[in-house]
Amino acid sequence: MQRPIIQTAGLTRVFKNTRAVDSLDLAIQPGALFGLIGPDGAGKTTTLRLLAGLLDITAGSAEVAGFDLGKQPEAAKARIGYMAQQFSLYGELSVQENLRFFSDLYGVPSAQQAGRSERLLRFAGLDGFKDRRAAHLSGGMQKKLALACTLIHQPQILLLDEPTTGVDPVSRREFWNILTDLHLEGTTILVSTPYMDEADRCSQVGLMYSGRLVVCDTPQAIRERIEGEIVALHPQDWQAARRLVAGLPGVSEVQTYGETLLLIVDSARLRLPQIENALQQEGLVYQSARQAPPRMEEAFISLIRRMESEKTPHPEAG
Amino acid sequence: MSLRRIRAVARKEIHHIFRDRSTLFLVLFTPTLLLLLMAYALTVDLQDIPIAVLDLDRSEASRRFAAQITAGNDLTLYAQVESPAEIEALLVRGEIKAALIIHPNFSADLLALRGIPLQIIIDGTEPESGGFAVQHVGRRAEAFVTESLAGQLQAAGVPPEALQAVDLRVRTWYNPSLKPRNDLIPGLLSMILGFPALSVALTLAHEREHGTMEQLMATPIGRWELLLGKMVPYILVGLINTIVIPLLAMAWFRIPFNGSFPLFFGLSAIFLFAILSMGIIIGVFMRTQAAALALSFLLIFFPGFFLTGIFFPIAAMPEIVRLESLFLPGTHYAIITRGIFLPGIGLDVLWPYAVMLFFLGLVFTGVAALFFRKKLA
Repeated sequence: MQRPIIQTAGLTRVFKNTRAVDSLDLAIQPGALFGLIGPDGAGKTTTLRLLAGLLDITAGSAEVAGFDLGKQPEAAKARIGYMAQQFSLYGELSVQENLRFFSDLYGVPSAQQAGRSERLLRFAGLDGFKDRRAAHLSGGMQKKLALACTLIHQPQILLLDEPTTGVDPVSRREFWNILTDLHLEGTTILVSTPYMDEADRCSQVGLMYSGRLVVCDTPQAIRERIEGEIVALHPQDWQAARRLVAGLPGVSEVQTYGETLLLIVDSARLRLPQIENALQQEGLVYQSARQAPPRMEEAFISLIRRMESEKTPHPEAG
Repeated sequence: MSLRRIRAVARKEIHHIFRDRSTLFLVLFTPTLLLLLMAYALTVDLQDIPIAVLDLDRSEASRRFAAQITAGNDLTLYAQVESPAEIEALLVRGEIKAALIIHPNFSADLLALRGIPLQIIIDGTEPESGGFAVQHVGRRAEAFVTESLAGQLQAAGVPPEALQAVDLRVRTWYNPSLKPRNDLIPGLLSMILGFPALSVALTLAHEREHGTMEQLMATPIGRWELLLGKMVPYILVGLINTIVIPLLAMAWFRIPFNGSFPLFFGLSAIFLFAILSMGIIIGVFMRTQAAALALSFLLIFFPGFFLTGIFFPIAAMPEIVRLESLFLPGTHYAIITRGIFLPGIGLDVLWPYAVMLFFLGLVFTGVAALFFRKKLA
C-alpha cells in the first residue's frame, strides 16, 4: 500500500462547546474517490475545511499531499482544489474571467493558461458560455464552472463539499461523470454528499457521526454491513401494514418509501413466510413481498439509527 | 509577494466596481452628491439677516445711514424700534439676530469728524450670523463715510480710516470676500474624497457574506497580496474624484484654486492610501456588511466630520481629542486641501502632513495585515 495522500491522526476541532470533529483518524490513498457521508451536523464540512487549511486544528494532526497542515498550510493549499458548499463565484466576472482570476492566484504559467481553460471549459461543457457573466449561469453550470476554477492549477487533491446539493438530476449526473473522469486520471477526490447514489459511485466511503468516522469501507462492504436482510413489501393499505409488520418477531426496522415498505429482518428465508401469513390473517392485501438486495440508502439509515439508539440510553456520553 | 496575484485581485475588483451599479454609484458619484448636499446644507453664506435699528439721533444723516446699512440683501431691516427694551424682546424671541443702535450725537460727531458712535448688539447664541452682521455693518459704515463725507474729509485732511465706524480688526486672510464656503469646501473635501474607504470596508465583508472569501482563503494568496490588491483599485477610482470634485468646487461654487494641481493630486493619493487603510482594518474585523457600514461611520466618518477641524477648531478641543485627531488622516488632509486651494501653499510647508499621512497608511495597513488571518473562524 502507498503512503496515504491525506492522513489525519486524532484530528479534533472544537467550536465553543461542540466537538465538530472529534479524534478523526482518516487515511486516503492517492487516486481514491472517497465519499464522506453522514447526517447534517456530523462534521463533514468542518473536516473538509480543516483539510483545506481553512480552520485551526484544535488537537491532533493532519497531513495533506505530504505537508503538515499545522506548519505548512500554504504549501498544501497549492496542491488542493477546494470547493466550498456554498461555492460562490464572482458573479460580475465572466466565465473566462473567473478562470483567469483563479489561474493567476494559483500561479498557473501564462503559457499554459489559455490551453488549460479551453480544455476545462470543454470538459465542463461551458465552452459556449465563455463570455457570459457567472451570475447569469444556471445553478448546474455555476457548479461546473466552480469545479473548473478549482481544477485550473491541476491539483493532486480535490476537496468538494456537497458539490451537487441543489442541482437538478441531469446536471448532477454530468457533474459526476466529470468526477469519474478525474478519478480515472488519478486525481484524489474527497467529496461529501447527502446523496447515497453518489456514495455508491465512490471507491471508498466514510460515514461520519457526531464528529467521528464510524465506518470506512468500500460501498459494497458498507451495504453488506446492514445486519440482517431486506424484505420489500408492496401492500395496498401501507399504513395498516406498517403497524402490523413493525411488531412482528425478527423485524428490526421498517423504512417507508412512498407506499413501499422495506423491512430489515434477521433472515429473509425464515421471516418472509411469517410476514405473508400475518398479513393474510389480518386481511391485508399486498401486491408483492420479496427479498431485496441492500442499497446504500438502507445501509446508511440503518447505521445511523443504530448510532442513535446506542446514544440515547447514555445521554451523558454525548 | 507576487505582483501577478495583486494584479489579479485588483483587476477583479475593478470589474466589480464598474459592473456592479450600486458599487459604482457609491464609489464614483456619492462624493459629487455629498459635495453638493453638504456645501448647500452647511455653508453659512448668510443672507437677509434680520436686524432692528434704534435711531436715537433721528437726523437726516442717521436715517440715510440706516437705510444704506440695510439696502443690500445681507441685512434686512426687521423693525425700527424706539427703545433698548424692544431690542431685547426681539432678540429673545429670535426675531432678529442683531440690533444697530445709532447714538444721539451721530450726525454731530460725524460732521465734526470725531468718529461714528455706533453700537451693535448681537445674539450670542448665533455667533455666525452675529459676527457676520458686525462685519457687514462695519463695511457699510466705511462706505457710507467715504461717500457722504468725502468733501469734508479732504478739506480737513483726515483719512477716512480714521473715522472707522467699527473697529473690526478681524483679519480675513485668504478669504477677503468673506465667503465661508471658500474655507469650508476645501475642508469638506477631506471627508468627501475619503468616501471610498467605506467601499473597501464593505468589499471585504461582502466577500465573507457571499462565501467568495472562503474560496480566496483556500488559494495560496498572501494576505498582503489580497489587501493591497483590494486597496489599489479604490485608490485609482478615488483619484478620479480628486480631479472631478475640485473642478466641481471651482466651476459650481466658484472656489478659487490657487495652488499646484499636481501637488494636490499627489498628496490626495497619499491621503487615499491612509484613509483606505482604515477601511481595510474595518473590513478585516467585521464579518458582515452591515457591521462594516456601522463601524465605518463610527470610526471614519463621524470623527472625520467632527474631529478633523473642518468645522470645529482642533485647538479648542480637549487634549485627548486633539491627540486622537492626529491619528485621523482627515486632520492632515484638511490642512493640505485648505492650504492648496486658497493660499496656494506648496510642499515646503505641507510636507510634514504628507509624511504623517503616509505613516498612518503604513501603520493601518500593517495592523490590518497583522490581524487578517486566512482562517474562517
